[in-house]
Amino acid sequence: MFELLSEMWSFAFMRRAFVVTTVLSASVAPVGAFLVLRRLSLAGEAMAHAITPGIVIGFVTAGLSVMSLLVGGLIAGVGVAMLTALLARRTILRSDASLASLYLIALAVGIFILSAAGSAVPLKSFLFGSILGIDDASMLLVGGVATVTLVAFAFLLRPLIVSTCDPVFFETQTRRPWLVDQGFMLLLVLNLLAAFKTLGTLMAVGLMILPATAARYWASTITAQLVLGFIFALSSCWIGLTLSYLFPETPSGPAIVLVAGGIFLISAIFGPLGFGKRARKPVVSSDLSVTQIQQEEKAQ
Amino acid sequence: MTAVLQIRDVTLGYRELTLFRRLTMDIEAGTTLAVLGANGSGKSTFVKMLLGLMDPLSGSLNWPKGRPREIGYLAQMTEFDRRFPIRVRDLAAMGAWRGFGFRSGLDNAARDRMTAALDEAGVLDIADRPIHMLSGGQLQRALFARVIMQDAPLILLDEPFAAVDQSTEAHLLSIIHRWRDEGRSVVLVVHDLSSVLDHCSHALLLGGQEATHGPVDDVLTPDRLVAQGYLSESQASWMFRSSPKPQEPAHV
Repeated sequence: MFELLSEMWSFAFMRRAFVVTTVLSASVAPVGAFLVLRRLSLAGEAMAHAITPGIVIGFVTAGLSVMSLLVGGLIAGVGVAMLTALLARRTILRSDASLASLYLIALAVGIFILSAAGSAVPLKSFLFGSILGIDDASMLLVGGVATVTLVAFAFLLRPLIVSTCDPVFFETQTRRPWLVDQGFMLLLVLNLLAAFKTLGTLMAVGLMILPATAARYWASTITAQLVLGFIFALSSCWIGLTLSYLFPETPSGPAIVLVAGGIFLISAIFGPLGFGKRARKPVVSSDLSVTQIQQEEKAQ
Repeated sequence: MTAVLQIRDVTLGYRELTLFRRLTMDIEAGTTLAVLGANGSGKSTFVKMLLGLMDPLSGSLNWPKGRPREIGYLAQMTEFDRRFPIRVRDLAAMGAWRGFGFRSGLDNAARDRMTAALDEAGVLDIADRPIHMLSGGQLQRALFARVIMQDAPLILLDEPFAAVDQSTEAHLLSIIHRWRDEGRSVVLVVHDLSSVLDHCSHALLLGGQEATHGPVDDVLTPDRLVAQGYLSESQASWMFRSSPKPQEPAHV
C-alpha cells in the first residue's frame, strides 16, 4: 500500500494532478459556497452546459488549446449570463426560467457542432476532463483563475455576504448592486473553465456544489462555511486522485466527485444541521434564557 | 423645524398605473410619519422612492441638508432569507458596512457601538446565535440592531410590527421614541389602524390615486379613510362609533 503511494508520487503527472486540484479547490470552493447560499446551485450546472458551445467552437476553429477554451468559454458564458439578466429584467420570465431556456439552446448548439465536426473530438475527455494529462498551459489557466478569484473575493466578500443575505437591504446600500451579481457570474464562468479542463463539463460543478452543501450541514457562519468548503473540496480531490491511482480503471474526475458525494452524505446524516439533530428551523421561545440553551446544546 | 426632505409635487406610479398625484410635503427632523393605505396603494413604492430605488413620474425630492449618506431601512420581514448562515452579531454589523474593498470591516469604535445597539435591541445575550435559531420577534430585534448601527438621520421601517408580539412591539416602539428624541425622522409603514398611531406625529394616507398628509388626527378621519378606500363605511362607523369604550370580553 505504502509502496503504491510512494510510487504514485514518483510520477510527474500525478504530482501535477495533486498540485492542480489543490489550487482548483481553493478557487472553486468559495464560488461554490456562494452559489449555494445565493440559491444558484442549479444555475451553476446550467452555466456549465451553457459554456459548451463556446468551448466547442473554440476547439473546432483553433484546436484544443487553453486560449481557445478560455476565449470561447468566456464569450459563451458571459453572453448567456447577460442575456439571462436581460430576459429576467425586461420580460415576464424569472431568471431561473430564462437561464434554463438559454442553456438548453446553447447545449444543443454545442452538441450539434461537436457532432458535425466529426470524430476528431475526444468526446470522453470533453465530458470527464483529463486530469492526468495536465499540460503547463492548463496549470497556468488554473493558477491564473485561482489568483483572479481569490483577489476578487478579497474585494467582494463583504458586499457578496450582504447582497446574498439581504438583497433588498444591499440595493439600498450601493448604487452598483449589479457589480456584485455580474462580477460573481464572471467568477463562476472562469472557475467552470478552469475546472472544465481537469474535470470535464459534467463533473465541473460537482467540486463546487458538493463541498459547499456538505459544509452547510456543519457551519453556522460564513467563515466556517468557506473554510470547511475548502477542506472538503481538497480532501475530495486528494482522496479521489489516490483512489483512481489505486484502481487504474476508474476515471479521476468522477472519483473526485464521488468522494465529495460521500462527504456530503456523511454530513447530511451526522452534521448538526442535518437529519436527526436540530431541525432546520427550530423556533426557540424568546424567553428561554441563554443558560438553558447552552445546557440544551451540551445535552445534544 | 428643519426639513430633512422636501417632497414637491410628486406623482408616483408605474407606466400604466398611477399610485398618487401631486404630493407636496416635508419630512421634518424629529417627527414620526405613519404611512397607511390599502394593499397596492403604494406604501412600499413610496418607501422605495425615498430610498432612491425608484424615481417619481414627475415632481422632485429636495434634500435641504444634502441627501444623507445613510438612510436607515428595514424591509418587510417576509423578504428575508432566514437560512443564511450568519450570527446575530454579524447581521447587526451589516449596518456599519462601508462598501467595497479589503478594509470594509468594523473598527473599534463601531464595535463598541454594536454592543450598545445589540443591548438596546435586546439581543445582546443571543448575539452569537445563528439567525435560523431565532423566533420572529428575535429576528426583528436583530434587524432593529442593524438599523441602529446605520446611525441614519432618516429611518424607513416597512411594517416593522407585522410579525412580532406585543412585548416586542412595545420594546421596538421605545427605540423609535429614542430616535425621535434625538431628532431623527422615522417613516413607519403601518398595516392597520392600531395603537402604533399614538406614537406617530404625522400620517400619510395613500389610496384612490390620492395622498393626504398632515397631523395624524387630521388625516385619519372616517370620511377620509372611506374616501381613499381604506375602510368601508360600515367599518368606519364601527371603529369611530361615538362610545369609544370597548366592551369587556365576557369571561368564559
